[in-house]
Amino acid sequence: MTNDHFQGKKAFEHLIDARLKGKIASSEIHGVELAGHYSAGADAAKETTFLFLVLLIVLQKIGVSNSLLHPAIFSLFFGFLFWKTGRSALLGYTRLNRLHRLIEEERYEIEHHRPQEKEELKALYEAKGIKGKLLDDLIDHLMADDDRLLQVMLEEELGLRIESFEHPLKQALGAFLGVLGTLTILSLSDLLLPHLATCFIGFCIIATSSITVAHFEKNRALPSLIWNLGVFILAILIPYLLLSQ
Amino acid sequence: MKKPYLFDDFFASGMEESISPFLTKDSRAYAKNLSLKSALLASFFLAISYCFSFYFPSLSHLFLAFVYFLAGIPSLIDALEDLKNFEIHIDLLMTFAAFSALFLGSGFEGALLLVLFELSHGLEESVMKKAKTTLLSLQKISPRSVKLVLKDGSYVERSIRDVQVKDHLLVPVGEIIPLDGKIISGSSFVDLQQITGEFLPLFKNPGDVVVAGSRNIEAMLVIEVARVSHDSTLTQLMKLISSASDQKPKLEKAIDRITKTYSSLIILTTFLLAIFLPLFFHEIAYLGKEGSIYRSLAFLIAASPCALILSAPIAYLSAISSAAKKGILFKTKEVLDQIAKCKMVAFDKTGTLTEGKLDLQEIYSLHQEGALITKEELSIAYGLELHSTHPIAHAIINLAKKEKLEPTSVHQFRLIPGIGLEGSYQGKSVFIGHPEKALSFPLFFEVMEKCKGKVLAVLIIQEKAYLFSFEDRLRKEIAQSIDQIRQKKIKTVMLTGDFEHNAKKIANFLGIEEVYAGLLPEQKLSLVETLSKKEHLIMIGDGINDAAALKRASVGICMGKIGSRLAIDASDVVFLNDDLHHLPWLLDKGKETIQIIRQNLTLSLSFILIATIPSLLGLIPLWLAVILHEGGTLLVGLNSLRLLKK
Repeated sequence: MTNDHFQGKKAFEHLIDARLKGKIASSEIHGVELAGHYSAGADAAKETTFLFLVLLIVLQKIGVSNSLLHPAIFSLFFGFLFWKTGRSALLGYTRLNRLHRLIEEERYEIEHHRPQEKEELKALYEAKGIKGKLLDDLIDHLMADDDRLLQVMLEEELGLRIESFEHPLKQALGAFLGVLGTLTILSLSDLLLPHLATCFIGFCIIATSSITVAHFEKNRALPSLIWNLGVFILAILIPYLLLSQ
Repeated sequence: MKKPYLFDDFFASGMEESISPFLTKDSRAYAKNLSLKSALLASFFLAISYCFSFYFPSLSHLFLAFVYFLAGIPSLIDALEDLKNFEIHIDLLMTFAAFSALFLGSGFEGALLLVLFELSHGLEESVMKKAKTTLLSLQKISPRSVKLVLKDGSYVERSIRDVQVKDHLLVPVGEIIPLDGKIISGSSFVDLQQITGEFLPLFKNPGDVVVAGSRNIEAMLVIEVARVSHDSTLTQLMKLISSASDQKPKLEKAIDRITKTYSSLIILTTFLLAIFLPLFFHEIAYLGKEGSIYRSLAFLIAASPCALILSAPIAYLSAISSAAKKGILFKTKEVLDQIAKCKMVAFDKTGTLTEGKLDLQEIYSLHQEGALITKEELSIAYGLELHSTHPIAHAIINLAKKEKLEPTSVHQFRLIPGIGLEGSYQGKSVFIGHPEKALSFPLFFEVMEKCKGKVLAVLIIQEKAYLFSFEDRLRKEIAQSIDQIRQKKIKTVMLTGDFEHNAKKIANFLGIEEVYAGLLPEQKLSLVETLSKKEHLIMIGDGINDAAALKRASVGICMGKIGSRLAIDASDVVFLNDDLHHLPWLLDKGKETIQIIRQNLTLSLSFILIATIPSLLGLIPLWLAVILHEGGTLLVGLNSLRLLKK
């Protein structure tokens, strides 16, 4: 059956499109941040570490005096603190608004195009190998409760999960603490310890944040740690070596 | 599968992020009262900025920038939206004034304006949310799925949207009755507390009507659906509450209209004053070119109608919210204006002044001395009364059920409003209703003499007639309520179709000043119309007979009876818990609302007048203009919140 609701496609093709739409809606525009305050915090910590060390190297290489070095770094990083926090909140809000638009569209579909929604649901579960009376019973059961139906359509059709995102401000708080914590540790280290120790502490921050993210995402910790450290070292080496010429 | 998320709450709230289904439960708290939190944080930053201004100017500016960020950006977005739509609202005036102040070097004053403006927005938002609480609580009890009984007696779960009239539904113990209907099998106590506030559960038998939203608390029931989802009593109540919050009364509309034109004029005047005033008064100190923009800005702020705009809506919403807590629902906000004007309250008698729970005292024969009513004749009365919702019908049906009788099927049935019900049975004409129909029977006057002061109904079966005599009880606290109404110098009137003797007896007992008895529906209707024109009448009634009168009165108040769609549709106010002792409170609330709106209008206009002219003359600095302007707005908001009081 094809009609306006499916825009000339078959029910199953429509489902594939809808899933893609859901995936796009649930991801951040720039793909920089992962959802959640932990991820935002860990990501902010990594970026702060990288920027701090690069700035330290660059400003020293170009011969900025010590009396100017620290105020310059601090001012810059307080700006960065606000930038990172604000961006994290804004990206979170953009995603939340997109999701709210999607859920409203889906509710409209359920209220006004019940036969088509039923067909989509049928195609969805047929593709999973459910057939005959079992399929009919399953569809009847799911169609019986609009709340349940909306939840199923969001999860199965659009590939979204409800109650799984943190509020944008909580996510921003994660980013804020990530920048502030890292900045405090690195600044203290830079004031009290030799530069090499600051670099080592920077490595530790990158390592800890990588392992934390891997843990929460249920990824393997070791490859994540090595890859992140590899990228970090290379990124630091590029300006250092270029300026050493 | 875990219990599905209740999306209806989310949609009913207007997709508020504080209950967004996508957010984790813990993090939803971040979104609560965000506007207020942001305003408070901005005011904290403003205080820091002010303190730092004496010692660290750069840091002071930094915190000031945060204030503009937190409080200014929301207003700036609203203002630009207004501009995009070629509309001039208060957001535009305030944002323009605040950002202009910044460019004139008066950043503090601009920031103060933004913070106070954001604070008043936050307060307004929280009052709006309170007004929506009743709707959300009804939404929560509204079932989404039903157990549909199939022909073989088994049942399947179906969406409430897929149910049709006449479908049979199973309602297990402890569950909410999903749709209005009639009990087909089973008897049980039904709890109406969530809908009407009625504390005691009611016992319902097969044939009784049950209402969507009530809870079945004793035994399993099977009901036949009478109204589908979008038509059910629960949905009607939800529509009633939401329409009351959305519709604007004349006064509010007028204020909106005036302020739109006024805002445009203020902006125009500000520009004209900034440009032309120095040209004419350049020789007078303080009125020259220097500071002309500053003075015009002070004028713009002082003359902005923020307080004027808030004068009515918060007051109406607070009054509606406070009434909803007492189980009083309004169809429109305008009803409050009408209640305030009311000089007369008219009561229907049976079911309004009295409880409408009639106890049968005696059945008299009117055609032959001592003749007793037969079971077949009582079944005819049962068959006729099945079509009525009048308390007399309930009493006769209960009597027949007690006698274990089945209703007789009456043909050519016809309802004569205010008179009774007639039809035919086995070729004989049958009637039940007003006793005067039996005037021609030999024992009529003798029996009527015996029954003075009683509620009466006559059953006529061709050449036979029986008079049913009932005792009705007055509502508790009704005398006290009527006394309180009289003390408010509001005239009380009784409009009834009952005999004058009965009506006067009750009126004298209760102290009702005027009695109009023996009224036919059309007479009642024309009387209500006349009194409404003359005295601004509030009509209180309950049943099918009152629907037209309720509609015609200045304010129609429906007494509970939420099963009667007709009464809900016809009335302007619904007393959910059937409790007339809230009536004096309602009359006070109507007057208080209008009084507070008047006070608000006076306050806001006074603030505008007090601040505008001195600010033009340069006598009021920008910061004082801001304080006077926002102080007025805050005062108006707080004054309106007094209506939330019980």
